[in-house]
Amino acid sequence: MEKVAITINGRVCDGYRDQSVLNLARENGIHIPALCYHPELVSSGGSCRVCLVEAHQNGRMRLVTSCNYPVREGLEIKTDTDLVKKIRRGVMELLLSRVPDSDVIRDMAAMDGITETRFFKDEGKDSRGKCIACALCTLVCEEVVGVCAISMLNRGRDKTPGTPYHKSSNACIGCGACAYVCPTGAISLVDEDGTRTIWDKKFSMIKCSVCGIPHIPEIQADWIVKTTGKDRSFFDKCPNHR
Amino acid sequence: MPTIVSFDQLEKNREKLRASVNPELSTILVCFGTGCQANGARNVASAFTEEIKKQGIELNVELGFKTTGCHGYCENGPLVVLRPQDILYLRVKPEDVPEIIEKSVKQGIVIERLIYKDVNTKEEIAQYHSIPFYSYQKRIALRNIGNIDPTSIEDYLIQDGYKGLAKALMMDPDAIIKEIEESGLRGRGGGGFPAGSKWRSCKSVESDVRYVMCNGDEGDPGAFMDRSIMEGDPHSVIEGMIIGAYAIGAVSGYIYVRDEYPLAVKNLQIAIAAAREMGFLGKNILGSKFNFDIKITRGGGAFVCGESSALMRSLEGKVGEPRAKYIRSVEKGLYDKPSVLNNVETWNNVPMIILNGSSWYAGFGTKGSKGTKVFSLVGKVNNTGLVEVPMGITIRDLVEKIGGGILGGKAFKAVQTGGPSGGCIPKELADLPIDFDSLTKAGSMMGSGGIIVMDENTCMVDVAKYFIGFLAEESCGKCTPCRDGLPRMHKILTAITEGRGKDSDIETLEELCDVLSYGALCGLGSSAANPVLSTIRYFKDEYAAHIRDKKCPAGVCKELITYRIDAKFCTGCTLCAKKCPQECITGERKKIHVIDEAKCIKCGICKDVCKFNAVMIE
Repeated sequence: MEKVAITINGRVCDGYRDQSVLNLARENGIHIPALCYHPELVSSGGSCRVCLVEAHQNGRMRLVTSCNYPVREGLEIKTDTDLVKKIRRGVMELLLSRVPDSDVIRDMAAMDGITETRFFKDEGKDSRGKCIACALCTLVCEEVVGVCAISMLNRGRDKTPGTPYHKSSNACIGCGACAYVCPTGAISLVDEDGTRTIWDKKFSMIKCSVCGIPHIPEIQADWIVKTTGKDRSFFDKCPNHR
Repeated sequence: MPTIVSFDQLEKNREKLRASVNPELSTILVCFGTGCQANGARNVASAFTEEIKKQGIELNVELGFKTTGCHGYCENGPLVVLRPQDILYLRVKPEDVPEIIEKSVKQGIVIERLIYKDVNTKEEIAQYHSIPFYSYQKRIALRNIGNIDPTSIEDYLIQDGYKGLAKALMMDPDAIIKEIEESGLRGRGGGGFPAGSKWRSCKSVESDVRYVMCNGDEGDPGAFMDRSIMEGDPHSVIEGMIIGAYAIGAVSGYIYVRDEYPLAVKNLQIAIAAAREMGFLGKNILGSKFNFDIKITRGGGAFVCGESSALMRSLEGKVGEPRAKYIRSVEKGLYDKPSVLNNVETWNNVPMIILNGSSWYAGFGTKGSKGTKVFSLVGKVNNTGLVEVPMGITIRDLVEKIGGGILGGKAFKAVQTGGPSGGCIPKELADLPIDFDSLTKAGSMMGSGGIIVMDENTCMVDVAKYFIGFLAEESCGKCTPCRDGLPRMHKILTAITEGRGKDSDIETLEELCDVLSYGALCGLGSSAANPVLSTIRYFKDEYAAHIRDKKCPAGVCKELITYRIDAKFCTGCTLCAKKCPQECITGERKKIHVIDEAKCIKCGICKDVCKFNAVMIE
């Protein structure tokens, strides 16, 4: 990998070509807020617009999303200018009006001094729950799990993740990776009496032969056996008793 | 015709085709563009073929007959042109056909009721090229449209078709790129990026595979220049793409056409098949070592797929969503390979530039915007349609000379350019030259070339509301500013037009505009603020009137106006009372009528039907 040094807020940071600016900033202990980016998901990022920074390059300045902006020679990044703060406040206020019930968004907005929104809220029948439509759930389902049980449906303000036609999906293995990766905790996953419920589908779970606690949906265990060749008996015990 | 394997053979075939056509032969051309077909051109064409059969006239010996692409003057369709007399007949009906053949074709008599009458000067003009709508135009992109049958490759060859390609194949690829750079051709799809630089950057990237693509996903409301070119002169686009592919070293190309353009898809398919058969596409093109072919991909109807990165995703069979273009398409485009995407009109200009040279092309237009541009001129002007003019024409010339002035003698107020995310330019700037940079400086943009003319009865807040509503509807929903910002802007604008505006609204709107301009993911989102910013910039008084005085100066916003009958003009004819759907107009015959404001739904029917201009808006 070709080594490239850039400056972030005046500090020289050593990175490599095409590394994301956010990644390099984090390595150097510089905080940039972000929601829709996950380092393990190649195509994540670029949609929530919370990680906007000023990029100065070739005598030109523009706001870019640091999560997918590539480190290149001669780049100068500023993360805390008035413009960055002003636009991020606007984005946070929009997110707050979209998901007023999300504590993650409320806390994040409060950090930027936004506690109330001037805009109409998505409430009642228009409620989005806590979902900011960042698509991380669908990306993890496709790129990491590899089942593509959910995808982004509709467009514009109605864009939402879901199973096809919002019907219980045969492709879903109940792994819960979507709920795990969701930055706002918008996806409901309930484990109760040996049954997991997610995306309107119920999964019967394998109980640990030692402690008796249900720990993985049977279908998920079957999927792992099928795709990795692991022995099914591996799942007889929960991770704590293997 | 057999496959052409050399430049000599191409020229010999062209000569042969030319010799087979008698230039003196009377020829009837019926416009078969989408507009004319919707107005009944098919029936007119079949009336002609029947009448020709009935009269026993021998086709191609005594009379030529063909259907052509769009002439641009769509509101007056179906159009019929007689050659060589150069007579243009407007709004032709099947009943007119026998008379046209009997009088005009056989005896050369002009049928006066079918010719152009100028609304302003009352002058009657029979000659196609003399009517103002055409006489001020300079047609390069539209060179063949209306003259040739788009389904006939022979017609295209007669008009020097594929001559530019033959010349290009004898040139060094770098020399072609240089020629395009020096012509100053900038992308006609909206961005205005210099086409030559784009080609050069793409070529400079190391790769075994490269692609060329044509963006035919025209989605701006009221814009139809690309449709007309694809329908009326498909070979010009194909020829441009082959030249571009040869220049950058691409082996395959894609034309992305919106599915709502069935005639464009059909004519392109016919053209590609014919070009393949003759050896302009496929292996060893014209006997050279160059191989290239084109496929058509039909879009699914999303406005955002006109945006380049979304278009490429859609072409790959994925959901049409934009991606961050921090790494450019010329480096990593379609299937992550270096790619050149140009608009229909850009490709269509390429063969002419190669054939006539860059300095010829650069001789038209302004310093920063060379050549000509096709505009779809619509709205409150007398002549609407497609027009091609040199870059740098003033708004005033476009509206007054070609457009024939404002409909109904009303006052000109503004033009909206550049599609839904363009801006409104007021009458005070009527002498602004229309080119890429002047429009951007004025807070609007060239876009794909839509020009909507607005008169005094247009409310600018309502206009901004309309476009923001359109964009909110068409937002793909990927990024926060566009997905959640546009509906909120729309809500604020709606409140203003309904008399619920607050003093702080303008400031809030401006803040949201900044969030969009700086913060949105793609070009559609970042330009979506233009309709609001430009109307606030030039028509702030109108916003203030809505917010503070709860008045709509243009008399458009229903919640802010009342209809009243002026006693001075009312003759008591009772027509308004009869037509009122609410039955809220009372008054006896020959006595002054009165509108019951409580029941009035402000539909405006009373005003439309009153012959005495007695209904007023306050």
